[in-house]
Amino acid sequence: MQASFAAAKPFALRAEIVAYAILGAVALLALTGPTLTGLDPMTQSVAGSHSGPTTVHWLGRDHLGRDIFTRLAVGARLTMLVALASTATAILLGAALGLLAVVAGRWAEWPVFGAFDLVRAMPSILLAMTLLVALGPGVPSVTLAIGIAFAPIFAYIARAAWMRETTAGYVAAANVMGSPPLTTLVWHIAPNILGAIVTQAAIVIPRAITTESVLSFFGIGVAPGTPTWGRMIADAVKYVERAPLAALVPVLALSMVTLAFALLGDKLRLRWDPLRKGTSP
Amino acid sequence: MIRALGVPLLRQIGLICAIVIAVFLLIRVVPGDVVDVMATEGDMTAAEVAELRAELGLDRPVPEQLALWLTRMAQGDLGMSLRFERPVAQMIEYAIPTTLALAAKSLAIGLLLGVGIASAATIWPRGPAAWLVDFVNLWSIAIPTFCVGLAAILVFAIGLGWMKVLGNGFVPAIVIGIDIAGQIVKPLHEELKEASAAPYVRAAKARGESPARIVLAHLLPNAAPVAIALSGLILAGLIGGTLTMEVLFGLPGLGTLALQAIQGRDYPVIQAAILLFAVAIILVNAATDLLQRLLDPRLRR
Repeated sequence: MQASFAAAKPFALRAEIVAYAILGAVALLALTGPTLTGLDPMTQSVAGSHSGPTTVHWLGRDHLGRDIFTRLAVGARLTMLVALASTATAILLGAALGLLAVVAGRWAEWPVFGAFDLVRAMPSILLAMTLLVALGPGVPSVTLAIGIAFAPIFAYIARAAWMRETTAGYVAAANVMGSPPLTTLVWHIAPNILGAIVTQAAIVIPRAITTESVLSFFGIGVAPGTPTWGRMIADAVKYVERAPLAALVPVLALSMVTLAFALLGDKLRLRWDPLRKGTSP
Repeated sequence: MIRALGVPLLRQIGLICAIVIAVFLLIRVVPGDVVDVMATEGDMTAAEVAELRAELGLDRPVPEQLALWLTRMAQGDLGMSLRFERPVAQMIEYAIPTTLALAAKSLAIGLLLGVGIASAATIWPRGPAAWLVDFVNLWSIAIPTFCVGLAAILVFAIGLGWMKVLGNGFVPAIVIGIDIAGQIVKPLHEELKEASAAPYVRAAKARGESPARIVLAHLLPNAAPVAIALSGLILAGLIGGTLTMEVLFGLPGLGTLALQAIQGRDYPVIQAAILLFAVAIILVNAATDLLQRLLDPRLRR
């Protein structure tokens, strides 16, 4: 037992460092954006298409002669924006709306959770595809579609956590002291279920990134030429024999970010799960 | 028993109806219908556009279209494809075997890998299988299936020139299988590990049974309810996986059909495909519920 505990710890620590390193690098890439190379992500050049890495073009150029590194940096910004904004949408729609409905009573809970049941009964990718038909392509509609598709997860987690917390002594105490339901929700219960929401967010963010990339890959996500990583992959696939880097670079970036979030989510789950607190993973 | 199963089933059927109507309304509030899509593809005069729309029934009010569609569906008629002038039922019938074959292969590979690795890791806790649990799990979380599929196409078709390998449908099944294995292997392993502290395991050990026999004969059958509870995850992996792999590998299944219908605004086909997926999900949920009750006597009351 002692041995396995000692062996587990360095791995967990290493995984955490790797996760933070990847996310830090991506954040830096997203923040500095195209200024790092000083090149324009949209500038095309027929002569320079499919050329390999040089001192100017660090990762080479794609089929239209655009600088891959610069597009990767701009793509980091867009990809992370879509991922974070859609997860925030999902939390707002799911957890916030779900909690309000639960607090308001059965007449509100029934239709709201009925709608969530409806959304949950469809595969998220198919649902996002259908919603995109209704919303049209583009970054805002992709964000909204993914947000709606992932909202039920947060609603059910928030409701379960809320039901667990309402039986806790501090809620009874707040009720006895005459705290209105909404005040109890916002000031007493919400901070206590934040952990569950944050953990789920770490799980949903990589899935949002993947969903965006699949949608863009199918050609119904963001518009062609918009440098999200998924779109970069989709655009580069046709020319992969001549310029493998153009497809490989965004695939690797995508995988590393989802891996980092997965490692982080695992760690958060262990930290916030009261049953596992203090035990080795 | 009947009441315990009947009420959720009624609820599920209600859900199917709600999904069908919601999707019907959703795709009709969108500006731009199939006729618009066709008009941008070929030259059509305004009169031709209006005529075609009247012929397809798209000029009528939406509630009337819904009523008509529901009546026809109740009679088992899924309608005609607006783009291909073929019965939707025929198109779906053609697509189903491809999807089912891919799903069955993927499921078999996923279960074999997931259960196999989890069992091996329980039998030999210090062996490579214990490491494989984490590896396969992280793999499935970190690397989107379509990226793995792309890599497979690159390596096999372009790198090695083995076009035949891609044609038989096993490569996409392996890609989806690994993804499914990664999702179920960790909870299954945790369950097996926890269960190995149970008294009946100690009794088996005392009788001198080998670790392999304990896991395969005692722990795995007892972990069956957990595996069934994971069917939601498995199904989500299967549907998402077959959808992307079909499109990526050019297999003419339901995923390809749905994507083409969505891109072409082919309403009857979209509706039928979504209805089919929803029914499949709800059937699997109901079957899961039933199996769980059958396997776990504590839930039967």
